[in-house]
Amino acid sequence: MHTPALELREVTKTYGAFTAVDRLSLSVPAGCVYGFLGPNGAGKTTTLRMILEIIRPTQGTISVLGSPSALAVRRRIGYLPEEKGLYKKMRAWSVIAYFATLKGMSPAVATRRAHELLERYGLKDFADARTEALSKGMGQKVQVLAAVAHDPEFVILDEPFSGLDPVNQTVMEDIITDLRARGRTVIFSTHVMAHAERLCDRLVIIARGRKLFDGTPAEARGTLPRRVRLALEAGGEPAADLPGVLGRVQLPDGQWELQLGEGADPQAVLAACFARQIRLRSFSAEEATLHDVFVKLVGPDATEARFR
Amino acid sequence: MRYVLLIAWREFVETIKTRGFWIGILLFPALIVLGVLVPRLIEKKGIPTRHFVMVDRTGTLAPVIRTALAERELRRQEEALVEFARTAKYQEPFSYFVSSNRVLDLPGWKQSAGTNWLGVRGFVAPKPRFAEVPLPEGVRDEGSLETVAEALRPWLRGDRKLTSAAGEAALFAAVLIPTNLAELAARPNPAGTNVTAGLQYWSENLADTALLEAVQTPVNAELRRRAYEGRGLDAALVRGIEQTRAPVVSLNPKKAVGEEQVGLSDRLRQWLPSAFVYLLWIAIFSVAQMLLTSVIEEKSNRIIEVLLSSVTPGELMLGKLLGIAAAGLTMLATWIAGMLLVIAWKAAGVTPEQAAAAGAMANLPLDVAAILRTTWLLPAFVMYFLLGYLLYAGLIIALGSTCNTIKEAQSFMSVIIVFLMVPLFTMTFIPRDPNGTLATALSWIPPYTPFVMMNRMTADPPLRDVIGTLFLLVAFTGFVLWGAGRVFRIGILRTGQPPKLVELLRWLRKP
Repeated sequence: MHTPALELREVTKTYGAFTAVDRLSLSVPAGCVYGFLGPNGAGKTTTLRMILEIIRPTQGTISVLGSPSALAVRRRIGYLPEEKGLYKKMRAWSVIAYFATLKGMSPAVATRRAHELLERYGLKDFADARTEALSKGMGQKVQVLAAVAHDPEFVILDEPFSGLDPVNQTVMEDIITDLRARGRTVIFSTHVMAHAERLCDRLVIIARGRKLFDGTPAEARGTLPRRVRLALEAGGEPAADLPGVLGRVQLPDGQWELQLGEGADPQAVLAACFARQIRLRSFSAEEATLHDVFVKLVGPDATEARFR
Repeated sequence: MRYVLLIAWREFVETIKTRGFWIGILLFPALIVLGVLVPRLIEKKGIPTRHFVMVDRTGTLAPVIRTALAERELRRQEEALVEFARTAKYQEPFSYFVSSNRVLDLPGWKQSAGTNWLGVRGFVAPKPRFAEVPLPEGVRDEGSLETVAEALRPWLRGDRKLTSAAGEAALFAAVLIPTNLAELAARPNPAGTNVTAGLQYWSENLADTALLEAVQTPVNAELRRRAYEGRGLDAALVRGIEQTRAPVVSLNPKKAVGEEQVGLSDRLRQWLPSAFVYLLWIAIFSVAQMLLTSVIEEKSNRIIEVLLSSVTPGELMLGKLLGIAAAGLTMLATWIAGMLLVIAWKAAGVTPEQAAAAGAMANLPLDVAAILRTTWLLPAFVMYFLLGYLLYAGLIIALGSTCNTIKEAQSFMSVIIVFLMVPLFTMTFIPRDPNGTLATALSWIPPYTPFVMMNRMTADPPLRDVIGTLFLLVAFTGFVLWGAGRVFRIGILRTGQPPKLVELLRWLRKP
């Protein structure tokens, strides 16, 4: 196996008495898209800043692209911070080119690359606009392009979707998909589970600075019991002793939701219904969503995140 | 270093692209030019002819005043004619009377041209400063002066205008002379005391006292003349004696034998450093503003995070300091180059003999050029500018990094401004006693060293002061930059309230 693109060992960051990140360990394999999920104040941004060596951890070690210092490999990293901002008076192409030169590109190559990227992502007409004249969505796209202009191996995007309309969210997803297709490693943090569900190869859920889950989306969904939703033709209650069923709840529309135990097979429930000649009007096996996993793991902490 | 230069280059380019930079670069010379031109223009065109009425109950003073005013007017016209002769392209009517450096031989000219000497083609005589007008219709020289003054009030207040063939005009003042003015005359004149009776000068305008002075001077002279004659003295003789002056030669002991005479150039040598101190002050000040804006922009936009993922805080700070110093130096170099160009242009082709003939002021550019050539002023200025800039810029960038908005930064800036006022206040005293206690003491305070030492530069300060203060200044600037780096590193990422002083000190000690 390759060396992981990123490795955190027992990383802790404290501000006085407050612990922002608590003994966090992670390993991000090269070439994967990795989701950072967590409610507000979970320590996502702090962790990303420590990865980038903008701030130093109180304890623990971080290795980025095999190096203990992100600054040593800064040319191979791209970063989009959580709070978005650009030099107001500079033109879109020159901002992108400037950040690319700070990552070691030569000015001529950086300028060419800036124009290429702006054209590819539908901003060709705004290349010469001052960034203060761009809409929020356009400004954010320019910033993402600035983060990836030097074609980094490892891209860190902090809340890349916030503030974007659905069309631009799709463009953002395209950018991430493009990066993956070219074998780049991408870490992004988000509150929106749908993006994580669609994009992530692996994800970590953190809350209050602690890791609650680390693995693939399928593994995440696997942590919740599967559910079966059914409606009886005659009304009434389904039998309580169907195979693998742990509990049942009647939903407001009259359907029943059955929670299955670990390893239970929805097909077995359906077969049992047939065997007992229970007439069904509908039957569906529901996969737990990332949203459910998130809510369950994070619990009360997620209250705020859910409404975003 | 590559990244430092990249950052510096962007700062420089973005700064010189701002409107503020160009306003700054043009404003200073524009102010100087305006400061020279506007008073001249006002003198020429701005002040309208002042119309006044005169009621003289003595019957003898009015003619004296009129003669004096007429002489004054003639002098103004002559001055204007001389200026015209100096600057006019059309020299022909003057050709016999204008010397190689365009100085008009006025008496010769007057003598040869006779009474028509003002009728030169192209010459427009200046408007008269004062014009006496007869009492307006309905006001008569009758009864007490109070009655006359009362009758004149509507005109003096501007409610009514004087009408004549030439049009309407405002009555500027009324000069009323009581019969017994000679008896009222006091010796010595009780100036400033509560005078209730005397020559009455009625005017709404309290600021323009030129007319009052033009009236007062001949009246006083006339009263004195009469007093001399009343005592049987020859007035002309007395006046001649009064003009006695003991000649004074200013000599400088530092100069070689035969060259001790103190000229304008020596006085310049003492005052020119003040001009540089002003320049340094303005430069540090405008640069400080640029620096603050640039730091706060990056901080409030959070661009800082992207930057810090690419460069270290130290590189970022150094880049900003260099970039903006380059912008500040560009501004300063433009000013100095402009000044030198004007000097070179004025000094070109002027021989010392011509310059001497043209008078001391025409010599100014040559003198400045000579001083810049023969003293260490210019290199000293560049050195003190750089050190002074780094010192203050370091302070400002560190404090700026702890603020989130320009508004928060302003409160820090106001402290620095007050601090920076001191060299400005002391600037006029230091050249008078360049190696005195005040100057020496201030030189040893590093933030003031660049200003004060610059000010003392041409007065041969003791070597101990020069080297000692320079050493201290370099050390202090180094310390400030080191501390600034520490504060900047933490401050730039911090949001929320600016830190307290104690907290800042804690940051300094943090590894």
